Amino acid sequence: MSDEIRAASYDALVIGGGIAGGEAALDLANNGYKVLLVEKDLSIGGKMILLSKVFPTLDCAACITTPKVSEISRHPGITVFTGAEVTSIEKKGEREFETAVTKRPRYVVEEDCTACQLCEEVCPVVVHDEYQYRLVGRKAAFIPFSIASPRVAAIDIENCTLCGACEKACPPKCIDFTQETEKYIIKTGTVIVATGFKLFDPLKIPRYGYGVYKNVLTSMEMERQLAPTRPFNTILRPGDGKMPDRIAYVLCTGSRDDTIGNPVCSQICCMYSLKQAQLLMGALPMADVTIYYINIRSFGKGFEEFYEQAKGMGISFVKGKVGKITETETGNLILRYEDINENRVMEEEHDMVVLAVGVLPNTDPLSFFRNGELKADQFSFVDQAEVLSSPARTSVKGVFVAGTASGPMDIPDSILSAGAASSEAISYLKQ
Amino acid sequence: MNRKIGVYICHCGGNISDYVDVEKVKQAVVNDDGVFLAKTTMFACGDANQKEMVEDIRNNGLDGVIVASCSPKLHLLTFRAVSERAGLNKYNYVHANIREQVSWAHSDNKAGATDKAIQIVKSAIAKVRLAEPLMPFRFPAVKAVAIAGGGISGMRAALGLSDMGCPVYLIEKSPFFGGRTSQWDVLYTSGQTGGQMVSELYGELLKRENVKLLTGAEIISGSGNIGDFKLKVRVTPRYVPENCNGDKLNESIAACPVELPDEFNFNLTKRKAIYRNHPGQFPQTAVIDMTSCTRCGECEKICPEIDLSQEEEIIDINAGSVLVATGFDPYTPADGEFGYGLSDRVITLPEFKRLIELNDSGLVHKGRRVRKIAYIYCVGSRQPEGDNKYCSRYCCTSVIHSAIQAKKKFGDITGYHFTRGIRTYGKQELLYAESLKGGEIYLQSYEDDPPVVEVNENSLKVRINDILTGIREVSVEPDLVVLVTGMVPRADNSVGALFKLPKGRDSFFNEIHMKLRPVETVIDGIIICGACQGPKNITESVNSALSAAVKSFSLVNRGELEMEPIVATIDEETCEWCGACYEACPFDAIRKTVKGTREIAEINNSVCKGCGICLPVCPVDAIELTAYSNREIESMIDALAGSYPIMTTK
Ligand SMILES: Cc1cc2nc3c(=O)[nH]c(=O)nc-3n(C[C@H](O)[C@H](O)[C@H](O)COP(=O)(O)OP(=O)(O)OC[C@H]3O[C@@H](n4cnc5c(N)ncnc54)[C@H](O)[C@@H]3O)c2cc1C
Ligand code: SF4
Ligand code: SF4
Repeated sequence: MSDEIRAASYDALVIGGGIAGGEAALDLANNGYKVLLVEKDLSIGGKMILLSKVFPTLDCAACITTPKVSEISRHPGITVFTGAEVTSIEKKGEREFETAVTKRPRYVVEEDCTACQLCEEVCPVVVHDEYQYRLVGRKAAFIPFSIASPRVAAIDIENCTLCGACEKACPPKCIDFTQETEKYIIKTGTVIVATGFKLFDPLKIPRYGYGVYKNVLTSMEMERQLAPTRPFNTILRPGDGKMPDRIAYVLCTGSRDDTIGNPVCSQICCMYSLKQAQLLMGALPMADVTIYYINIRSFGKGFEEFYEQAKGMGISFVKGKVGKITETETGNLILRYEDINENRVMEEEHDMVVLAVGVLPNTDPLSFFRNGELKADQFSFVDQAEVLSSPARTSVKGVFVAGTASGPMDIPDSILSAGAASSEAISYLKQ
Repeated sequence: MNRKIGVYICHCGGNISDYVDVEKVKQAVVNDDGVFLAKTTMFACGDANQKEMVEDIRNNGLDGVIVASCSPKLHLLTFRAVSERAGLNKYNYVHANIREQVSWAHSDNKAGATDKAIQIVKSAIAKVRLAEPLMPFRFPAVKAVAIAGGGISGMRAALGLSDMGCPVYLIEKSPFFGGRTSQWDVLYTSGQTGGQMVSELYGELLKRENVKLLTGAEIISGSGNIGDFKLKVRVTPRYVPENCNGDKLNESIAACPVELPDEFNFNLTKRKAIYRNHPGQFPQTAVIDMTSCTRCGECEKICPEIDLSQEEEIIDINAGSVLVATGFDPYTPADGEFGYGLSDRVITLPEFKRLIELNDSGLVHKGRRVRKIAYIYCVGSRQPEGDNKYCSRYCCTSVIHSAIQAKKKFGDITGYHFTRGIRTYGKQELLYAESLKGGEIYLQSYEDDPPVVEVNENSLKVRINDILTGIREVSVEPDLVVLVTGMVPRADNSVGALFKLPKGRDSFFNEIHMKLRPVETVIDGIIICGACQGPKNITESVNSALSAAVKSFSLVNRGELEMEPIVATIDEETCEWCGACYEACPFDAIRKTVKGTREIAEINNSVCKGCGICLPVCPVDAIELTAYSNREIESMIDALAGSYPIMTTK
């Protein structure tokens, strides 16, 4: 690593380039402020850019996100660092924040890469593709996904064998293994934390067999199977490549559940399950879809109507909590559940099960400030100091929170909270 | 003409190419007159393709560009911006919709869909051949925002705008600021009372020099357009000056002979025609309600400063943007709906919330001690038959919180909750858990089998087929039935009507797009927020209020706005002013003017939306639409009708 520390200053630092961070950056930049957007991942767009369609309007997620990310990446007022992380923030005074940022090497010169994908072709290393939620493979020299921004190759150095094939294949010769981690000290007047959420890891509920039974998926994996940039171009059981025709959804997986330490309702999983179920009915007209639920929480604008629409399409709803899943010889799955209507324990066979995994906090922001100045709430989400009158304010004056960093939220609510964060940030800068 | 046109045909990641053979579309147009290049692309809107387009336009000097992709609603602006970045006038860009109009509409007929896509692209080519560079209109924007509604959303938006450095007029129709929030006692989650919250905001607003606060103020007319709205506001006087206060004021109020139900307490109590603010309402002064005052003069006798001769005032406000935050009404149950109106012991949730606050030692309603309460959920929401299909979002949490408050305050109360499935989403779930632990009893029914309230002479009975216990009939005889009423749009739609704001299926004001433009309306410059847009709790209302504030701010901040030059134009020679276009225009953009000796129509460019409705009604064909001239449209029709055999069948 080189010891050189570069310095730069902006009006605002936005941490996290998901829909919330992106919106906040645009709001600020459109009002004339200079913004640095720091994204940990190789592309901006957060989880939303990887979704299929979005409830309740069923717009294609890529179609809404791509123009946004492209607006962000070419906005003269916004500088984007991808593959970059905040290591510490220090508040020196009002409107004086000093943030240490490290930018990991991509081993590809961003400006020169034309996304021709020739490096991908020649790279001999195949690993799981994290952007397709491990449903398929990718190379160690790879473009994260087709609508990534920046759409530029990267070398996954951990899996790279340094064979040099990509270097030889690259027409503009932009692969550069000598790149090093870059360190920056960034001065800004305000900070917006938009680091998003983590998904519940279903391995923590062994009774559901995720990771053991191949045909038990998470909702995010199903999201990828349904997306326009989907890996298989249709819906397949990972176990044997068969098209499923009896699909079950297990709601509240990892939410509303004290036994795994998360009593909170994730507030998006009912709705995305209703959405996926509707999309599945479209993609596989002959399939039966059953949703096992505790309560259906379709509370937002147009949501209840969306639920009614799902019922009208013939999706089955079973009120009851799934206790256990077992696998049959054919790879089918038997769900043992408590049927509330029947008031007894029942069993039902399905050939594919989707776990509607919940929202957990991303705890990264809690270590940004050395002395814990940025406080967390009891669940480890960023605490909203004045949750009613100023929901974007945190325990540090001048640091604002947007999107799911402060708790579960869908996209419309994330966008509105980003508007609130940018409004407060402008007010703070003007004080 | 010698055009150099670039055509891009989008796969939309399969959304289009699964049904339309995009390669075939490309082949069908690549040799057309004026077409310099034609390409297919996976995602036309993606960053990489945008870059490629910019390079193509620059390197080849393209003078017309077409993207055949999704609806122009989504991406017309995206690709216009691409053209602009490449140095091409953005009106030399033409959008062809082959997704909503082709691939999605004809997913059952791939060959036909491909044919139709070809025709649509050909007609776009015909149009772009005739396209002219245009300059957007620029005009000044008044740097001030008028906010209609002084509830929590309006107040918070006003504070936000003020802090961003934008002058604000906060226009409240009632005599007091605070809206519904001032009516609520302890709030979930902060533990403050609604009154305290309003009081803090009001205190902050008073400190701001760039905020003009108006109560008793009603917008009676609105004209103008984005950047330059002209409002007339009627301000009703208070009649009671600030120096009439203390005991004298109390005596005056006591002397007033007119008594009427107090709407602040949802008619649980009475007030006089002269009355003061409730705690949590601001300003902290009294007012005379002239609609019920008989002008008997009793109050004036005690407090001579009272001046019944004060007159209403009309003030003019000029603002670049108008923010609408007019809030909601609690749903009023129909007569007989769950016993409402049949027994005075059936009340609504807002009434119940006031009742908790008004009682001190024990919960007493109409002289009777209340110990057993039945809460009936989703009244006026999630109606299988009625108009209100939506869930009101706030009410599960609100009633559970109120039930906990009542229990804390009065001790000996048990609640029976007749639900449709609890919706305490997010962290609110903890409140539900707390309530369960506290011994509250929860029952549930489905939409089509709601609970029944029997009103007997001396008792009430609530029955439900409870699905939580295997669909068993359960009944309770409560002392009080609380109907958990949802949110409906305000009955007073004067502001909405004034600006012709569109409403959604749920009758709340509608935004343009929930994710892309969540606080804007189709009327440029009119921004919505808070519960007038749909049910929201306080946090959600404030988030939308501040989003609205930053949106309005970005419209007026620079003092100048750009507008589409696509407007109707009048051929002054041909027009004979018959008024047909004036009648037809939905935006009041047309007026009569005199040119020399002749009366003709004139278009107000900053109001005209280029919708084209005036064109066909003109009997002498004197109107043209910029960028959609008869020549352009006819050439498009020729391309559609002539250049290709009509739709092959399956
Ligand atoms: C399966 C599924 C389906 C869904 N479907 C829908 C739907 O149909 N409709 C809908 O409205 N919502 C849907 N959602 C919810 C939606 O995904 C979220 O509301 C939205 O993504 C929240 O946006 P965000 O920006 O807050 O967080 P994220 O999308 O998580 O973005 C956070 C960003 O911050 C970055 N980041 C994290 N830590 C750091 C750090 N330390 N430094 C720098 N950057 C960092 C991340 O890499 C990421 O890019 C769905 C969610 C799931 C799981
Ligand atoms: S949103 Fe639905 S599935 Fe998700 S935790 Fe809440 S109730 Fe369960
Ligand atoms: S929030 Fe609860 S009570 Fe209110 S309408 Fe929705 S489900 Fe019914």
